[in-house]
Amino acid sequence: MQPQQQMTPEQQKELEEKIKNMSPEELQEFQKQQCIFCQILAGKVPSKKIYEDEKCIAVLDVNPAAKGHVIVIPKEHYAIMPQIPDTEISHLFLIAQKMSQVILKSLKSAGTSIFVANGLAAGQRAQHFMIHVIPRRDGDKILDVEDKIIDKELVHKVTSSVQNKLNEHLGIKKEVVDVKEKDPEPKKSNNKKSEDNKKTKKIKDTEDVGLDDIANLFK
Amino acid sequence: MKCEYCDIIEEKNNLLYEDDDVVVAVRDVAVTPGQISVIPKQHFTIFEQVPPDIVTKCSIMANKVSVSVFEGLGSQGTNIIVKNGTGAGQTVPHFAMDIIPRQEEDGLNLQWQSKQLMEDEMDMAFSTLKDALNPTAITVKKVKDESVKPEKVKEEKGKENYMLKSLKRIP
Repeated sequence: MQPQQQMTPEQQKELEEKIKNMSPEELQEFQKQQCIFCQILAGKVPSKKIYEDEKCIAVLDVNPAAKGHVIVIPKEHYAIMPQIPDTEISHLFLIAQKMSQVILKSLKSAGTSIFVANGLAAGQRAQHFMIHVIPRRDGDKILDVEDKIIDKELVHKVTSSVQNKLNEHLGIKKEVVDVKEKDPEPKKSNNKKSEDNKKTKKIKDTEDVGLDDIANLFK
Repeated sequence: MKCEYCDIIEEKNNLLYEDDDVVVAVRDVAVTPGQISVIPKQHFTIFEQVPPDIVTKCSIMANKVSVSVFEGLGSQGTNIIVKNGTGAGQTVPHFAMDIIPRQEEDGLNLQWQSKQLMEDEMDMAFSTLKDALNPTAITVKKVKDESVKPEKVKEEKGKENYMLKSLKRIP
């Protein structure tokens, strides 16, 4: 396939049309061909490889958040984490643990951040799943987000919305009492609360976004 | 010592799941509503102390929670984060994996400025990490000096078929 940046507008349009008509399998194959990390894995793009086994490699990130920033990349092309089988995801995290250990030991950092982004909304930039292991030190302002206190009702709502799905995925057959129904309709008692309610509503509205949609948001 | 996560485990606060090894809890203090933590029951302070079977369990669970968050909350993305060490902003001395639901323009900034490193700084980090990962590399190097065929010595450390291959390669 042609590299995208050298296309005429007509070719671009044609390609977009082609992508639209692709089956999920074709789309995945297409993504694979365009994927820079698959090219790194194939040795077509140079990288600083620290580790390799039959399932994954660990290389230095070329756009590091800090010196010694390592990414663990599965050899198989997965766009996002939910597509990855259990045995593989655990292997990747075990290798990330090993990398973290090595970073703490040899670079004398004050900590590491293990970071995964699933989907564009989560800041995922490449369409190939990876685990970031970032050396950290005090005041480096990486992943600097503050905790806040979450409204109790919101916590309950989240619990009931996620509970059944999680049970499903864990194969647990247990009817969960819907906390939502027991709760009285939240009243707009203050500004913060009504804002929170709006947020939940927004979450509800987008309920039918599928995993494939998330995985295929990339072009 | 009082530990916030041990409290969650003990008091069963907002638990989605519990077994002998781990709990999954919806957090009431979090970066965003819907944040869920996978916490091993045993009090491990940092990632490096967590045994492989628990890492395995936590990561599989984190993935299932992430899928459930996509489906149950209609999230458009998730972040999985481990804050490992005080330098990484770890405030509770108990290892956990956080799953953070994301929406477009939710105001959370979890991006970083990529650091402009000189080529030699990258090389330095690379060789430091590589050497630390294979401490034997140093001893191999020592053997190398005495050995006439350094390639062969190195290959002997690998698998048998590797050795065969290298033997064939050596003229």
